Amino acid sequence: MTAAGRSHAMHFHARAGEKVRNAVLQRALQKAKPLFVGKRAKGIASLAEDGLDFEMLRSTGKNIRNRNLADLDVWLDIFEERATATGAEVLWARDGAEVSRLVVDIARRHGVSKAVKSKSMLSEEAQLNEALAAAGIRPVETDLGEYIVQLAGETPSHIIAPAVHKTIGEVEALFAKEHGRPPETRTSADIPAMAQEARAVLREHFLSAEMGISGANFLIAETGSAALVTNEGNGRMVTTLPKVHVVITGIEKIVPTLEDFATLMRLLPRSATGQAISNYVSLLTGTKRDGDHDGPEKTVFILVDNGRANLLGSDYQDMLRCIRCGACMNHCPVYFSLGGHAYGWVYPGPMGSVLTPLFTGIENALDLPHASTGCNQCGAVCPVAIPLPTLMHRLREEQNERGLRPWSERLALKTWAWLAGKPVLYRWFARRVARYLHWLADGSGRIRIFGLAPEWTAGRDLPVSSGKTFHELYSARKKA
Amino acid sequence: MPEGQTCCGQPAWSAGNRPLAVDLAKKAIAELEGYDHVVIPSGSCADQIRNVYPQLLADDPHWAPRARALAGRSHELTSFLVDVARMESAAPEFAGSVTYHDSCKGLRGLGIKRQPRELLAKVRGLSLEEMADCEECCGFGGAFSVKFGAVSTQIVDRKCEAIAAVGADAVVGGDLGCLINIEGRLRRRGDETTRVLHIAEVLAGGDDC
Repeated sequence: MTAAGRSHAMHFHARAGEKVRNAVLQRALQKAKPLFVGKRAKGIASLAEDGLDFEMLRSTGKNIRNRNLADLDVWLDIFEERATATGAEVLWARDGAEVSRLVVDIARRHGVSKAVKSKSMLSEEAQLNEALAAAGIRPVETDLGEYIVQLAGETPSHIIAPAVHKTIGEVEALFAKEHGRPPETRTSADIPAMAQEARAVLREHFLSAEMGISGANFLIAETGSAALVTNEGNGRMVTTLPKVHVVITGIEKIVPTLEDFATLMRLLPRSATGQAISNYVSLLTGTKRDGDHDGPEKTVFILVDNGRANLLGSDYQDMLRCIRCGACMNHCPVYFSLGGHAYGWVYPGPMGSVLTPLFTGIENALDLPHASTGCNQCGAVCPVAIPLPTLMHRLREEQNERGLRPWSERLALKTWAWLAGKPVLYRWFARRVARYLHWLADGSGRIRIFGLAPEWTAGRDLPVSSGKTFHELYSARKKA
Repeated sequence: MPEGQTCCGQPAWSAGNRPLAVDLAKKAIAELEGYDHVVIPSGSCADQIRNVYPQLLADDPHWAPRARALAGRSHELTSFLVDVARMESAAPEFAGSVTYHDSCKGLRGLGIKRQPRELLAKVRGLSLEEMADCEECCGFGGAFSVKFGAVSTQIVDRKCEAIAAVGADAVVGGDLGCLINIEGRLRRRGDETTRVLHIAEVLAGGDDC
């Protein structure tokens, strides 16, 4: 199925309504938000200890990523050459379907019946788990959050905290059922015990899987390596225990040098989890060498386009700088009112509101560029200074240019703008509106149900003025 | 105030309708460019004129310099009072505590943070009590609050909780959109006592304060 075919982004409005009313989800989100925001704030503040300033550092990060993109083809060629020289194989995939086909082929060739996975959003783009299962290969997610989401038959709702939409109670019920044990009462103090429980299950999978599948946070051109930034250690298991390791990542993840990588690493963990550095940083190069105790016998890089190359040189190229830290969603008032599933496709939050229409078709995600208050809390925290509201705005413009906005909205805007161009009429109309609203408020100073803006008065009153416009009051005072 | 003044065109711009936004921008520039200073009691309208107009008309050789010139002379109210007029004298009295909501366009678009606080500090009898997350969006977002009312309500609820927690007599801001949204939700939640005021109302004293 095409990316657009399985996207639910067109149902954003309806799904948003459901999510707002879901009390359990709201509890999970309200608990997570201050943690994300607080940890990042501390992480960014800690830059000062190294004599660094966030604005300076992110401008460096932005420049590095811009340089990577300016010569993307060159760096990819160099990467391919160096990675091949270390014994790895480099394959290219145009879209998600091709990713799935390549992975299934590799799995068949190596007699794989089980694949352990470290978190990869690109494998979500490709719907790889479904393709593997259909080919008789069992995919096992090993990132704790992904493991939970897979057990529940769901998709990640956050790019770095896939199960953030779940409460401890929900996870406990799921574990009891899936691990075949009686349910218990759990509090946050029990989280280590629950992680231990998942770990025991996962350990068996690590040891028996023939293939490991991971994403890559970055590809380093000069060494032909994949860089993996994780906190749970599962990434190391996935990439070193099975005999075959497949790295799936987007072509835009390339950085030329280890030094560039080091600079971006000052930004990535701090922006994501507030850590100065993540628990594990792996640089994976080539295959197992003579004398190595572990490592895959076969390493394959699958470098994926899936819509990325189209963004080069477009109005949206800035989006390709994204290093997938999640800070934009962690600071988004809309994301934290809904969780990630409302966005309907792989990527949620502000970055999803830009990427989903670009990757699945602007006409297939009409609400998403409008699902923003324009507050720019995302743009302010983005570690590579992506102007997310500007990109959403450009998508809104493109919807207009392509005639994709509803006729009622176009008519309303046109009428209003026409009126605003006729000052006398505009003032007359404004007076009528002020009187009308004042009359509707019936002396109470507010309107409780207003048919012209039902979504507004469903949740709040509409305060109204004294019934006079500013122009009227201003002229009256000038005369007096 | 120019007689013909209507709207800066921000609603058209944020809806993504560039031609309409351009028309209204030109109209506003022609009306306002004759003044030494343009003072705007709204962060979002000020942001439109200062930040959006120059980029909206950047490719028009006739209008681009005029847009840039106007942008440089246009100021959000509190920024004008503090940074341009350098208002020294104390403002009228206000008996009670207030908490200040930083509007998104004012704060992140224009960098307005210290100016309203400096002005409030000059009001006799007024005590400023900062609420938690005062820089967090109130959920208004113009058409957003009408298109996605339920989401907007969820966001403004968090703002109302922060206001309730600080327990100030009034919540004060510099953007009417935010204030209508916040007041509307406070009242719907049953809060009939917390006053919701534009900073100009506080500084002017008068009947309302």
